[in-house]
Amino acid sequence: MDAYGTDSGARRGPDDPGSAPEPEPRTGVAALSPRYQIGAALALAVVAVAVCVHLGMVFLHVAPSNTVTKAHGKAIDDWIYPEFEQNWKLFAPNPLQQNIAVQARAEVQAKGGEIRTTGWYDLSAEDGRAIDGNLLPSHTQQNELRRALDFFVATHDSDNHPSGLRGSLSESYLRRIVVLRLDREDAAGKGGVVEQVQARIRTTNVPPPKWSTEKISDKPIYRVLPWWTVSAADTNGGAE
Amino acid sequence: MNRLALSVSSAIARVTESALGPYQTAVIRLGFSATWLLFLLREFPHREELYGPGGPWSWDLAQQLIAVNHAFTALMWSDSGGWFEFVYVLSVLTGALLLLGWRTRTMSVLFMIGVLSLQNRSVFVGDGGDNVLHLMSVYLVFTRCGQVWSLDARRARREGAERARGERVTDRVGVVLWAVFGAALVAVTAGGRFDGTDATVPVIVWLVWLALAVWWVVGRRAKSAEPRILLDVVGNIVHNGALFVIMAEACLIYATAGWYKIQGSRWQDGTAVYYPLHLDYFSPWPGLADLLSSSGTMVMLVTYGTVVVQVAFPFTLFNRRVKNVLLAAMMTEHAVIAVVLGLPFFSLAMIAADSVFLPTSFLHRLGGWAARARARVVARARRTPLPGPRAPENPEPTHADSPA
Repeated sequence: MDAYGTDSGARRGPDDPGSAPEPEPRTGVAALSPRYQIGAALALAVVAVAVCVHLGMVFLHVAPSNTVTKAHGKAIDDWIYPEFEQNWKLFAPNPLQQNIAVQARAEVQAKGGEIRTTGWYDLSAEDGRAIDGNLLPSHTQQNELRRALDFFVATHDSDNHPSGLRGSLSESYLRRIVVLRLDREDAAGKGGVVEQVQARIRTTNVPPPKWSTEKISDKPIYRVLPWWTVSAADTNGGAE
Repeated sequence: MNRLALSVSSAIARVTESALGPYQTAVIRLGFSATWLLFLLREFPHREELYGPGGPWSWDLAQQLIAVNHAFTALMWSDSGGWFEFVYVLSVLTGALLLLGWRTRTMSVLFMIGVLSLQNRSVFVGDGGDNVLHLMSVYLVFTRCGQVWSLDARRARREGAERARGERVTDRVGVVLWAVFGAALVAVTAGGRFDGTDATVPVIVWLVWLALAVWWVVGRRAKSAEPRILLDVVGNIVHNGALFVIMAEACLIYATAGWYKIQGSRWQDGTAVYYPLHLDYFSPWPGLADLLSSSGTMVMLVTYGTVVVQVAFPFTLFNRRVKNVLLAAMMTEHAVIAVVLGLPFFSLAMIAADSVFLPTSFLHRLGGWAARARARVVARARRTPLPGPRAPENPEPTHADSPA
């Protein structure tokens, strides 16, 4: 039991208010009387159980769907969400092999009252240009539009109908990003007002490596989303 | 049977008598707080767009999502721009103070609050790096991560010296900080700000605050040494449990990333690494990406190597030497990813997580280098502003005990 009697160097809690005692000759459970050892044992048991349960839950959360997760999915989700959610399928099972871009145009009412439709602005290409040669890409350039689109696609069917609350939230989010970006491009022109916006998703295959014999289409595929009316709420504070 | 009992008792001794891995926990504290701090400074010009009430993911939209997912974020307490700026700046400050190791336990709680507040406010702007920081900011609260390389460690040394001289040590700052922390906590709870929030964060914050109080009261009032030792033992147990969770979490990250890759056809045919290099969102240096992927054999070796390292890593922890080789390989790969895929903060967070597995001897050497570099800088800074006759070396005691 001599193993307990080591130095007590950097032992004290780093943030303890008040004074700490003289250096102890002995620490750990060996320095405690049986009454206090029960307290230590209890703490050890509680922490051990908490650690095992937590790691078990995280494991089941990241594991593929299996017998246990099918039977106890609710309990696992209750433990994990919202603060311990995680996804480590990094570029897995397959890396994305398509460049997915968002393009947008606007219907603008000019100062004189006439309505015109702008050309398509390639918002993702703007992001791409901002990232080029950048050692520190911003989340606004790398994640904002890209993940908003992921969110939109995940919560809409192929006819662009939203599913549930998340569907309508993702639509508002994407619309607000489009309005913000078109405003930065000054799509409305002088004195003009953006009345409606429309986005389309352009999907292009990454060309196969030049040492590969694979042949895939290099033609982009477009998915055109409906026109969205721009409300005053979409522009509040969004233009920065 | 006797041997089993012996090894169980020595294991119990180990996890109760000390907070293990003081250098490893300090280095992850430095790593995660530095990553977060640099990220916040990088995004400072974009903070409104990412997390502000008027950004594309507006306060209103966030409110609707949080009403169903119950995540914790202080930014939902008010939709005013002033409150947002306050939380952002507070997050920067607490990140910096955690980096310095000032009042580590309290700062780790505030650090967690800052990370969660911003990330949960806008969940759709993050990536894997944010996810790592999110989890680790929670785990870090339970560790004694300021035992070395911190202002707390320096303070503990000074107080120890004062006590050795028979002086009475009082810590007013700690008491004031605790009182302010408590007042804010009571106000937040009484004001119903935690209502509808998942219990995880409120429970953690309250527990830490109560534990700090108990620690202080017992340290002052207890008649025998035993209550203090018991608290120390509990602190060690909690620290060691959290350290184990952090290590296991890092293993789960690699295991998940690796095992799922094995199932992908591109990882099997050896071309996977080519594709991210040619995505517009992950190719800041197209020329470099082309150069790296010019040889099919090279791409295949890197593709297979990545999977092998990720799948193998958790198992190599049982062999020190192999583990260190793989650790170096993974850190190098993340450093390359930082530049080539344009993911600097993700890579920094992953390197910080990896560093929990660095050997103590290496960290000692690292600390030695840092201390010597600091001493050189300090010496030069003191020499340059004094032209003419050289002033005598000033043996200020403050510089003698640098926290390294």
